[in-house]
Amino acid sequence: MLKPVLILCLGNEVLSDDGFGAEVARRLIEAGGLGEEIEALFAPLAGFNLLDLLQARRRVLIVDTICTGKAPPGTLHLFSADILVPSRNLTTSHQISLPTALELGRQMGMLMPERIDVLAVEAEDVTTLSETMTPRVSQAVSEAVDQIRIWIDGIYVVSSCR
Amino acid sequence: MKSIVIDPITRLEGHGKIHLFVNDDGSLANCYFQVPELRGFEKFCQGRPVEEMCRITTRICGVCPDAHHMAAAKAADAVYGATLPSAAVKLRNLVYNAFYAGDHTTHFYALGGPDFVCGPDAPAAERNILGVIAKVGIEAGKKVIAQRARGQRVIEIIGGKKVHPVTALPGGMSKRVTKAEQEEMIKIGGEMVEFAKFTLKVLDDVVLANKAYVDLILSDAYAHKTYNMGLVDENNKVNFYEGKVRVVGPDGKEHCKYEPKDYLEYVAEHVEPHSYLKYPYLKKIGWKGFVDGVDSGVYKASPLSRLNVSDGMATPLAQAEYERFYETLTKDKSGKTMVNATLATHWARVVELVYACEATLKLAQDDEITSDKIHNPPKGIVGEGVGIVEAPRGTLTHHYKTDQKGIVTEANLIVGTTNNNAPITMSIKRAAEGLIKKGTKVTDGILNRIEMAFRAYDPCFGCATHSLPGEMPLEVIVHDAESGEVVQTARQHC
Repeated sequence: MLKPVLILCLGNEVLSDDGFGAEVARRLIEAGGLGEEIEALFAPLAGFNLLDLLQARRRVLIVDTICTGKAPPGTLHLFSADILVPSRNLTTSHQISLPTALELGRQMGMLMPERIDVLAVEAEDVTTLSETMTPRVSQAVSEAVDQIRIWIDGIYVVSSCR
Repeated sequence: MKSIVIDPITRLEGHGKIHLFVNDDGSLANCYFQVPELRGFEKFCQGRPVEEMCRITTRICGVCPDAHHMAAAKAADAVYGATLPSAAVKLRNLVYNAFYAGDHTTHFYALGGPDFVCGPDAPAAERNILGVIAKVGIEAGKKVIAQRARGQRVIEIIGGKKVHPVTALPGGMSKRVTKAEQEEMIKIGGEMVEFAKFTLKVLDDVVLANKAYVDLILSDAYAHKTYNMGLVDENNKVNFYEGKVRVVGPDGKEHCKYEPKDYLEYVAEHVEPHSYLKYPYLKKIGWKGFVDGVDSGVYKASPLSRLNVSDGMATPLAQAEYERFYETLTKDKSGKTMVNATLATHWARVVELVYACEATLKLAQDDEITSDKIHNPPKGIVGEGVGIVEAPRGTLTHHYKTDQKGIVTEANLIVGTTNNNAPITMSIKRAAEGLIKKGTKVTDGILNRIEMAFRAYDPCFGCATHSLPGEMPLEVIVHDAESGEVVQTARQHC
């Protein structure tokens, strides 16, 4: 039986700061105590491939890197996935964006999550092949784990208020 | 934690950029495209066992992990001088064709297809997979999703993991296939062939029945008479996993046919001062600039070029479609006359999709795939090896040198898209020349017409980066050719 709440850590362990999600997942899983309804996992996937993972979950927190260029590396951004816009066009290749994947899933009759939040770290380098994150992004891992626990508490606060 | 506003465009540094330099008289002086590339591959590989490369390199490309797995595995076979049992070769071919069946499906329906299914002039908001589904129906969408799942299931059975296979070893494979798994794959193969027939009908009904689209495919604006590259088997039939690399000129004459280990005798890389991109070209002809013709060493490596270098397809439905492709576009079903229309690449991709589905079924039906003999342990070491496969988006070369313990000392890759850097530049320029004049406002429609040239190659850039939003928007930047000043910028999502 799938757990209804998913902490979905994305990224690539061999691409410098893109290894952030993998490290956050490792810490969460090692520490344990997430609760019976909550699963944390790391997936080096994007686009279409996310549909399988999101299907039949109620709430999802995606942990990933982001490059806004508007905040120092290591800054954490927490926002609703709703503010990401669907692809208007597909220029480059193979991936469809998260919002497009979600809309596609809904159209195909898949059970998509009620709500998806995103916790993203501002990355400094996601193009150098390396198993080491840049220092500021690496330092943000602990804070991200704390933020995830606060996010989890928030779900239950909301649930108990209903 | 600071709160900041996240723009819809979240990945400013991740953009693909097309720079256009326009002269005072309005003509196009130059153009090039710029994309983020991964850095440090060779350094990253050094010091690692070569047999690990096929597992690590799946992570350098989030799109063709299976292609990197196979090319790296073949290179490691060569480093150890290993020969594979027949069952292992069949398993590799099977999993690779199943991967192709999924990958080409994605491109046709989600990425390239919208230009044709929705139309190149459709509003941008509709020109995506959601628009395709709106036009061809929800049921078709479900078929596409199911087809992708089939490919992934075969990868999971043979490769040991979905998406990122881990099964190949120097000298063979590590995971045997059970009779029950074979039965499941036969069922999957049969369903894939039905899906291929459905796709042919979509192609017929939506694209080929529309004369305007066929005219667009054949228009000079999207044509280049370059050399073509692709792997072929001993009968010069298209093969994605093994064979020799064949290069055929725009005149239909064979330029060369070589073993993977000899690639450096035939391919060299040109560097332009304005760009960090490398532009591979045919060494024996030479770099003559971004020009086509038999005297220019520019070549393309794509579904279209693979069809052009081959004498046909090794399966019946795909062969029939191959003949229809050439009959329609050249009036000669033999395939001896080259198709040079870039946009025909989309149709060529469908021909290959049909082949991949048929090959998956045929290989799944072969009882030898359940053999216990799937690995010949290497007995010595050569210390150098080249592995070449056809990635969906072009010929993929992995080349490693190692010490006597198999530890990598040098590494070189030519990835599928890199082969096409020069023809992509030429295609963009050709499309832009007809559309961009000084003072022209680059509208969304113009942007899309330029992008269409680019998109036909199914390019793959810096693709291991999974940062949000999970795609790479494109910018077109118009410069004054003399001053370099930016005159206008057009960008998606704006």
